[in-house]
Amino acid sequence: MSVSAASPRRLKAQPVGVLLPLALVVLAILVAFTLVPGLIAPHNPIALAMSDRLKPPSLLHPFGTDEGGRDVFSRVVFGARYSLGVAIAIVFVSALFGVLYGALSGMAGGRLDNLMMRIVDLFFGFPALVLALAIAASMGRGLGSVALSLSLIWWPGYARLVRGEVLRLRERPHVEAARALGVSRFVILLRHIIPFVVQEVNVRITTDIGYALVAVTALSFLGLGANSPTPEWGLLIRDSRPYFGSAWWYLVFPGAMIMMTATASSIIGDALASRRPG
Amino acid sequence: MIVSVRDLTIGFRGDDRDLVAVDRISFDVEEGETFVIIGESGSGKSLTGMSIAGLQPRIAFVSGSILFKNREALNQPDAELRRIRGAEIGLIYQDPLGSLNPVWPVGNQIAETLTAHGLARPAAAMERAIEMLDRVHIPDPARVAAAYPHEISGGMRQRAMIAMALAASPSLLIADEPTTALDVTIKAQILELLAEVKREMSLTVILITHDMGVVAEIADRILVMYAGRIAEIGSADEIMLHPSHPYTAALMTSAMISETPAKQELNAIVGGIPGLDALPSGCRFHPRCPRAKADCVTAEPRRREFGAVEVACFHPIVAEAVAPARTGRGAS
Repeated sequence: MSVSAASPRRLKAQPVGVLLPLALVVLAILVAFTLVPGLIAPHNPIALAMSDRLKPPSLLHPFGTDEGGRDVFSRVVFGARYSLGVAIAIVFVSALFGVLYGALSGMAGGRLDNLMMRIVDLFFGFPALVLALAIAASMGRGLGSVALSLSLIWWPGYARLVRGEVLRLRERPHVEAARALGVSRFVILLRHIIPFVVQEVNVRITTDIGYALVAVTALSFLGLGANSPTPEWGLLIRDSRPYFGSAWWYLVFPGAMIMMTATASSIIGDALASRRPG
Repeated sequence: MIVSVRDLTIGFRGDDRDLVAVDRISFDVEEGETFVIIGESGSGKSLTGMSIAGLQPRIAFVSGSILFKNREALNQPDAELRRIRGAEIGLIYQDPLGSLNPVWPVGNQIAETLTAHGLARPAAAMERAIEMLDRVHIPDPARVAAAYPHEISGGMRQRAMIAMALAASPSLLIADEPTTALDVTIKAQILELLAEVKREMSLTVILITHDMGVVAEIADRILVMYAGRIAEIGSADEIMLHPSHPYTAALMTSAMISETPAKQELNAIVGGIPGLDALPSGCRFHPRCPRAKADCVTAEPRRREFGAVEVACFHPIVAEAVAPARTGRGAS
């Protein structure tokens, strides 16, 4: 590389340079938690041990224990599967559906596009909490209801993003050139538009996982999500409330996990965004 | 004739009234000729050329008739046009870098023309793509076929575009300002290549340009457009030697700058092309025309035969009155 270190690109990349390794470490830890919780967690996350109720952090219980004597660290480790797993599922289902929907809408153009986007607005404007309440009421509370209600309000973001990109990209000269060669709409979408949309969508997915995690844990915290004794992070915080005065660790560690995960997702998303070509 | 355009009108719906960019123009293109549409930016030349392949902007409205090989090409369903595009009409654009998809190798995109029309399976299409690159005189075609557009030079990219446009052996090639983005030496090479492939593949070429130098190089017949109307149409030799329309004459003299000694006065055409929302009455060229008289302001001149050409002017320049323009410019 050249010596001109003062290029705007490098200046922009600098703050990320400090945080990114930390975010990646958090990501690696989360991946490990999700894939092999049994190898990391020292204790059973569900089994009660009433003699160990609300013990402060120690070598045996690094995050302390809860009101049932369960190891909070083990519960946090196993909880990644639930909290993060559901968040990732929501984002991927939304992205898949939203990309398809948005791409079709953008390519269709005209009235159909208009109609499809009004439907998007309908879902977009719907308050998440009301929808979650309604779905929890009809399906029963649980992570399945949370995943469904959040997916329903999440996909329109992708549909809008992708439609906008498609509208922008289809005026590009190379798309026009492909059209001039008689390439079909479907192939144009697949080969000449989607590859450029994917970059934007990747950035969005990475950042969204953090937001979705916060939303999932928030719904659980409000009692609309996971049921005890599932070690879901939002539920841990909900269960910890009565003991906050005496057992700070019960609240602080799951909360810190949520915060760190959401922040890491945002930092990695930013890093991806600054690295994509115009 | 291969293309027959009648009363072609292309416009855009405006808020209070429509803006007409191409106004009731008619012309024929004969099989095997190089037909050049020339005009300033905003004259409607690109709209005219592109509409032959049904590629006018989405928001434009089009009326009239364009027969391509005796089949109506105007306002046809997209599926119909798609069969013609690439297979029977090849197109080359001004900006070869933008016109190539940066995420796919060059050969891949040339092959796409063939697979899109079901003319070859992917492997055979790739072989044909390399053949085409060789045909447009790209050295080491196999290597270039595997290269991405940003990895090759501007001249090579335009050659690759030509290979792409011709891969499916169309009978008509429409080139929209194919040399505008290139420097002078590359421009000459590309024009030479166009002339060569035209000869060898018995193509008809419609070339859209604002560059008189290009016209002199390869045109058989010329259509001069001004503000959406035809000013003059006829054989290239005739028009180059004896421009009849004052606008053509002005274009010719302004084009000579690059080849005339520095001392000679620069002949720019006074004024600019009128906007679509403020077209002058009568002859659209009259505000800039040195020969304009009262009738030019009140009535629009009809196109009529004048010597060997057709011209839309009340006061065309009589052949003898013109100083001899460039003669005998070799094609070298």
